[in-house]
Amino acid sequence: MKQHLQRQSGVANVDVSLIDGKVEITPKEDGKIEPAQLLKATYDSGVSVAALDVVARGKVVKDSSGSLEFQVEPNQAFVIAPNELSKGLEPFADSATVITVRGQLYKKPVGKKKPDTSAPLKLTILEVQKKE
Amino acid sequence: MNRKALALLLLVGSIFVPQLQAQIKHIEMRVEGMT
Repeated sequence: MKQHLQRQSGVANVDVSLIDGKVEITPKEDGKIEPAQLLKATYDSGVSVAALDVVARGKVVKDSSGSLEFQVEPNQAFVIAPNELSKGLEPFADSATVITVRGQLYKKPVGKKKPDTSAPLKLTILEVQKKE
Repeated sequence: MNRKALALLLLVGSIFVPQLQAQIKHIEMRVEGMT
């Protein structure tokens, strides 16, 4: 699985902890990383993902339908799942404020054996770390 | 004098601008069935 993940674009380093069942991925400084591709690569290597958390820095934008998105690259954004913390980000929509958040992009659905890794990932904000 | 100040400003700016870039900083996956 480690080799599978290290081959993905934008991945600088993969650290696997067998005891904790944790995989830490460090993205390249100047590369674009695709969390959906990492999920797929992990499943393809025969391992099931329970959850995928990220620490990301980006801007809050509103899409054409008025939904909040967290933009981490000019061409990469994740729809923000509404919760208490996401409400606090609404005033920053379409502003120049750069926000660092810890969030969850994937959680294994209960009872489902094979999750749909092709579905768009939604970002559930778990912590707002910094506003600049 | 003004040119020196401008050059210093540009130098400081070039140091801090890359750190303000938006990006995914870290990813952690919890996995099952790993041997």
